Amino acid sequence: MDAMPPAAFQPELSVAARPPLRAVAGGQVAGGNSLFRAPSRPAPRLPAPAPESLHPALWLGHQLGRNADQAAPSGFAVLDAQLPGGGWPRRALTELLLPHTGVGEIRLLSACLAATQLAGRLVMVFDPPENLSARALDQLGLDVEQLLVISTRTKVIPGADSLWALEQALKSGHVGAVVAWLPPRLRAERLRRLQLAAHAHDGPAFVLRELAAQQRPTAAPLRIALRPAGPDLLNLRLLKRRGPPLETALRLELSPVLSDLARSRAESAPLPAERVPDLCAATFINLA
Amino acid sequence: MLWIALHLPLLSLESFAATLLQRSGELPGEPSNQPTLAAPIALMDLHHIVSANPAAQALGVKAGLKRATALALAPQITLGQADAARDAQALTSVAHAALAFTPAVCFEPADALQANTVLLEVQSSLRYFGGRNALLKRLRAALAPLAHAVQCASAPTPQGAALLARVDAPREGRHAADPATLERLLDAAPVWLLGPGREHWEALQGMGLRTLSDLRRLPRSGIARRFGQGLLDELDRALGSRPDPRDWVTLPQVFQSRLELFARADTTEQVLHGASVLLARLVAWASAQHAQVRRFTLHMQHEPRHRHDAKTPPDSTLEIALAEPSCDAAHLLVLLRERLAHLQLVAPTLELQLHCSDVSRRAPPNTELFPTQRSEREGLTRLIERLQARLGCEQVQRLALVEDHRPERSSVLSAAEASGVAPASSRKAGSRAAVAVAAPAVQPVWLLPEPTPLAERQSRPLLDGHPLHLLCGPERIEAGWWDAALAARDYFIAQAIDGALVWIYRARLPLSAASEGEGWFLQGRFG
Repeated sequence: MDAMPPAAFQPELSVAARPPLRAVAGGQVAGGNSLFRAPSRPAPRLPAPAPESLHPALWLGHQLGRNADQAAPSGFAVLDAQLPGGGWPRRALTELLLPHTGVGEIRLLSACLAATQLAGRLVMVFDPPENLSARALDQLGLDVEQLLVISTRTKVIPGADSLWALEQALKSGHVGAVVAWLPPRLRAERLRRLQLAAHAHDGPAFVLRELAAQQRPTAAPLRIALRPAGPDLLNLRLLKRRGPPLETALRLELSPVLSDLARSRAESAPLPAERVPDLCAATFINLA
Repeated sequence: MLWIALHLPLLSLESFAATLLQRSGELPGEPSNQPTLAAPIALMDLHHIVSANPAAQALGVKAGLKRATALALAPQITLGQADAARDAQALTSVAHAALAFTPAVCFEPADALQANTVLLEVQSSLRYFGGRNALLKRLRAALAPLAHAVQCASAPTPQGAALLARVDAPREGRHAADPATLERLLDAAPVWLLGPGREHWEALQGMGLRTLSDLRRLPRSGIARRFGQGLLDELDRALGSRPDPRDWVTLPQVFQSRLELFARADTTEQVLHGASVLLARLVAWASAQHAQVRRFTLHMQHEPRHRHDAKTPPDSTLEIALAEPSCDAAHLLVLLRERLAHLQLVAPTLELQLHCSDVSRRAPPNTELFPTQRSEREGLTRLIERLQARLGCEQVQRLALVEDHRPERSSVLSAAEASGVAPASSRKAGSRAAVAVAAPAVQPVWLLPEPTPLAERQSRPLLDGHPLHLLCGPERIEAGWWDAALAARDYFIAQAIDGALVWIYRARLPLSAASEGEGWFLQGRFG
């Protein structure tokens, strides 16, 4: 550490605390104690500002973080209350972990994607696991005219090209929202690279991966595990977010597929809480 | 009248360096701000070195040395021969870049094959560009991608400007705003700058005439008798006492440029390096007419490996059409790189030719700070072009709704066009809500490409070994009697063991079971 700066360069905050210098006759500035009275009480110090009010990217451990950009509302009030910023984050990846396709993930995202399309921006879908039904998307409120499907699975090396295409779309900054299915067992530095590319993307970016990925750390700031909880019900566990960890799972009601009669029939039937353990055949290894 | 002269002292060396395959330390496509070349290069005629670049001069190679001496001083030097046609092509592209600033551009000397200076008459353009210094700055920025070392000078006469550009003086000493300053600056210029002065240099030196001021002090008739009238004419033209009409350079309607490579290009990167030089010239030609390129063609002339190999074609052609016309050399190079990556080069390439006749004259693209709808549309088009170039046109798809009750035919994926993407300005949200009310029962988002047969236990379908619980149905879909794919099915919504909903069906009648198949099938999942 070098020497303290000279008195003339003290920061503004402490100038108010120092006693003022008065000019005496002859133009000389005197600072000695004999020439002025010490103030009766010390000058009021400015209160130190709370760090979280300095910048929107700062947050304390017990608070829910805020996003610098306006977050995209998810359409579910219960979920919005638990997400930092009050919605899906922009300029960052949101990781959704699914046990298998078809747990209700599209119905979860449909409100946000429909709002993006209503604002006139394009939604790009990368490598959907199965075929999308245009009629069903229409019924959910999405516009198939403003949807582009990129499939990279038919190439020889599927991993490299799909990540390249996703990175290009994120970096361009003109795409409204991105929904991507990543190849399984993705390396951590590839996801980190996508997260860096997402800084240029003005909108939500969803990456959907397998449930086994929750064992490994991720660079995405928001990570949610989805599990079906019944007909038209979705069980969400917020595994990682900018804020205190959430112990309980959220239960969301998705846009209904079943009629009321069918739903009552489903509820009357025994609802499987956990998976019924099934017997698996024994494996014999020949040690001879 | 204000004339600007652009003198290219290293033109032959630079046009030769453009044919080399790899510049050490530079990536293809990046414009080099400093045109000094890192590798030593020298040009020679039959026996002696004619010129050497600064890297070679640092090693001791200079004009006049023999070939063996040069190789002994710098073993890694690349020796080549000057080609007047190649230099003329490079200078023409500099003239095209200058044509974006004024329509009056000419070469000096008049013959393009021997020229190494480009003259521009810019008096009428000064006000538009905001003065001589601003114009010179923009001119240098426009010439930067062509990677030439340029010396600028300005004067009221063309010959004077050309002479000042060749004078080895600091930058301030090369700009003359009025004839008096021009006279003063030329007085300090050496005599061998004048063409005839170079021939009679020994005689003039013997007489003690070194600068132009010495020459002007002598009687004119004596100079004309000893050295010819040409010397006096050139001096008069430089000082402005003699008229100097010039022929202007005209812009060709079609762009054709060729680059003969120094060595065979075996890899895509080497071809791209040569192509980037040609693309810089194409962009200069297009910007001279304030137009954007819509389509261009790259011809690659191959070298046959064996003389008897008649199967290799003599050339390959690659045509690149842009969805959105663009004048951006970097974007064109990216598209070319992606397309070349797919092309299998049958034989090494010796010569590249770039041809373009399709340009569009429209307003320049939006370069605003904040994205507007138009800039977003252009950005989206470029992104889709890039994705299509790398992945193939069939991988970028769009969904379309088809009015058919059969679920597997109701949505069709087709290749998207890059120019068809348009963010909709007014959406029919109201009409979509009306459609949703009147729509039939809800369909699943995910449809399997082929319906999967399900096992059965006690006449209940099984998914992954666990029985499905039927909740809703049957929804009868019977359609397709008009083509061969008749579908008569009863659809049910079922719940799997973990609570997810799936869409399964079975054939409606035992009669149709022959075409549909026996038992239960899984068609889709509710996502």
